[in-house]
Amino acid sequence: MLGMLKAMRQTLKHLPAKKITEQYPEERFELPERSRGLFRVVVDASSGEARCRACTLCETNCPVQVIRVNAESKYKLPVPNQAHIVRERLESQPPIDLRKLEPIVAGYFESGTRMIQILQQTQEQYGYLPRLALQEIAQRTGVSLSEIYGVASFYNQFRLKPVGKYLITVCHGTACHVAGAPLVSAAFSEVLGIDLNETTKDRLFTLQAVNCVGACALAPVVRVGDDETHGRMTPDSARQLVHDLRRREGLE
Amino acid sequence: MSVEVTAREQVIREALRAAFRPEAVVARVDIADEEVRQQAVPAQKEIRICAGTACHASGRVAVREAIKEELAARGLTDTVPIVETGCHGFCEQGPIVVIQPQGIFYPHVKPAQVGKIIEASVVSDGAAEKLLYKDPQTGAPVAHERDIAFYNLQKRLVLAQNGKIDPYSIDDYLARKGYGSLAKVLIDNDPEAVVDLVEESGLRGRGGAGFPTGTKWRLTRNAPGDFKYVICNADEGDPGAFMDRSVLEGNPHAVVEGMIIAAFAIGASEGYVYVRAEYPFAVQRLTRALEQARERGILGDNILGSGFSFDIRISQGAGAFVCGEETALMASIEGRRGMPRTRPPYPAIEGLWGKPTNINNVETYANVPWIIAHGADAYAAMGTGTAKGTKIFSLTGKVRNGGLVEVPMGATLRHVIFDIGGGMLPGREFKAVQLGGPSGGCLPAEALDTPIDYETLTASGAIVGSGGMVVVDDTTCMVDLARYFLQFSQDESCGKCVPCRLGTKRMLEVLERICAGEGREGDIELLEELANYVAEGTLCALGGTAPNPVLTTLRYFRAEYEAHIFDKRCPAGSCKALITYYIDAEACTGCTLCAKKCPTQAISGERKQPHVIDTSACIKCDTCRQVCNFDAVKVFSGRDATPPTQAKEA
Repeated sequence: MLGMLKAMRQTLKHLPAKKITEQYPEERFELPERSRGLFRVVVDASSGEARCRACTLCETNCPVQVIRVNAESKYKLPVPNQAHIVRERLESQPPIDLRKLEPIVAGYFESGTRMIQILQQTQEQYGYLPRLALQEIAQRTGVSLSEIYGVASFYNQFRLKPVGKYLITVCHGTACHVAGAPLVSAAFSEVLGIDLNETTKDRLFTLQAVNCVGACALAPVVRVGDDETHGRMTPDSARQLVHDLRRREGLE
Repeated sequence: MSVEVTAREQVIREALRAAFRPEAVVARVDIADEEVRQQAVPAQKEIRICAGTACHASGRVAVREAIKEELAARGLTDTVPIVETGCHGFCEQGPIVVIQPQGIFYPHVKPAQVGKIIEASVVSDGAAEKLLYKDPQTGAPVAHERDIAFYNLQKRLVLAQNGKIDPYSIDDYLARKGYGSLAKVLIDNDPEAVVDLVEESGLRGRGGAGFPTGTKWRLTRNAPGDFKYVICNADEGDPGAFMDRSVLEGNPHAVVEGMIIAAFAIGASEGYVYVRAEYPFAVQRLTRALEQARERGILGDNILGSGFSFDIRISQGAGAFVCGEETALMASIEGRRGMPRTRPPYPAIEGLWGKPTNINNVETYANVPWIIAHGADAYAAMGTGTAKGTKIFSLTGKVRNGGLVEVPMGATLRHVIFDIGGGMLPGREFKAVQLGGPSGGCLPAEALDTPIDYETLTASGAIVGSGGMVVVDDTTCMVDLARYFLQFSQDESCGKCVPCRLGTKRMLEVLERICAGEGREGDIELLEELANYVAEGTLCALGGTAPNPVLTTLRYFRAEYEAHIFDKRCPAGSCKALITYYIDAEACTGCTLCAKKCPTQAISGERKQPHVIDTSACIKCDTCRQVCNFDAVKVFSGRDATPPTQAKEA
């Protein structure tokens, strides 16, 4: 409670102050001619250490590849006050059977990193990418966890959260969009009470959108799991489909 | 040229003959080669079921099982083979069944109709007239595949074998002179001549940019380095494009053959096919094709006894549009985030794992065997001055005959959409055609006579791209379509370049507020300005072309933007914030259907009396309009005005 009040005080203090962010593109900031800006690593005044944690994100992102990170990753040694946060986060993870990972990692380690295949098979095994599994992979392959997380969060296929029993995929390809896919996913959201990329509380349905399943002639297309495809959907048939699936579960 | 058969030729010809097992051929009835025909067990009839993704989705498995049962019941299981072919291309009509050798085409086949079809076309030679395809203009039934306008107006070169052969059978491919081009190339043993031939043919990359394939091969061939790669780009991320998938699903060996020829010409020793994980059938069939080719000595060490070795691996993508860009694709094969990098160095010099790499699209490779077999001149004879050969388009949207269309370069959009595609759905008006996906643009009716080639389309603001062609009608809002594509580009931006990552976000915000009816004066100019920054300030084609949908819609449909901004009106009646649903009291018969279906009970009214929509409860889900059999539910656009009938009620 006290913390909250303190925070509120901060907020109130800043409320009447003038906004310091530029609302680009409506507002423009006058830069000196030929200015290219300047980059440097911020040094923490209290400890005298660089704040950079050598996560290599800037290296991956630099469009002209002028950044090279030479430092050892500091992720192995978390700063003291964060240690328990990390531990807590780990303990809150559901336990998984790490033995299943063994053949996956072993099979790919020799032929280069092939991280995407490792992650694909891990997801096949667990249904999503559990944090514990990612850590295990990091340890075994020697690729840093931040890099693995970078790969896992980059590709649409990978899920970092468990999914429901029925994965409802609404195609949002152009042909489906033109044929009314937004109305179909809105109908799903409404009847399931969840937004895209969410799972219902009973862990039965997960709703997601993909860019194109390539069955454009049947637009709008909805897939349930991997095998069931429904073509020429309407908001009405979307609601019907959810009822059918619930009935299949004996819920209605 | 010597008439004498060299020792090398003998070895290769013998190896190719040994690889072929005539008894294992599945699709037999239309083999042109008399010699092969006699070796393969002849069949009187053959049933071909399309096993492409669209037909699968519309229920081909049930149809196949019904056919099997029916044949078993009639004792025909051993004499009438069932061939599960790749995509026939006429996806709108799935599931498709074709009875050979007459070539009788049955669309929309349901398991219950199988008995009639077998009775009419397999047991006797006729056709079940009621189940045949009906010509959309005349309504007359058309029995033969070759007589359907959708097919006979096309020029099928890459797709020629699709729908004919079993993609799981290498013997089907070999029986139709498959791998003959490879043998020819290996016998001549002159890689330089292959590059020359491809260069002369004028083949250009079919993935989108249209870079001359021969030039690319030469660059890679001349690049220093003793280990080179060949990559096939099958990361078909464009929403609305599925030609690469269909080629891989229907005729995977053509792509494999093209890749081996490319590897031989370039001097590469390893190949990758980077294919989307969203295409499970394509992955399955390609995996099988590679296994078979390896078993028969067509792939791997010492191909066909020629001394040339080359192997191909499959690398599955994980769903990122940007991985269709070549440098991002290579990063993804290497197991990293798929982010493009600066070029030069081009992949031809420094590619996969730093080695010279040649990357081409699926369709490009599939063209290669044909060019080798028929010569560069025959290929260059098709098309226009700058664009040769044929191109496959996936025609979708509000058009009658959706599916895959292969036409010579230089055909007009009108020819593709109206002659082959059969025009718009009944009662709909052509508004625009979207070409090239999120990197392309929308062209209006005035541009329908534009010939399809790289330069002309680029000048008009659209691109050939990978070949997605989405036809939209008067119910599609162009502002919303631009918003959709920008949303796509924004989602798929890898985040490396600031103009793309933030620029598209800002543009999207402007478009969203226009669609929500909050557009302000100056928004159009702001969009144009930002579009230029994004196009100029990004590394790869994804960012560089991301503003294209906005720029073309602004160029051709500016009035629609203005209607949104100044009149707060959506002319197409599609932007939710700007429309109101109402029931036309004249047309409503009071059937209560809409009231029953309404998820929020916003519709009320007595039976047989005109119904009324309570606009405060309406969530604009469009259900009532779709279920109404009398077109009584109407959409009124203009946020600050009240619709005609509703006003009366109030």
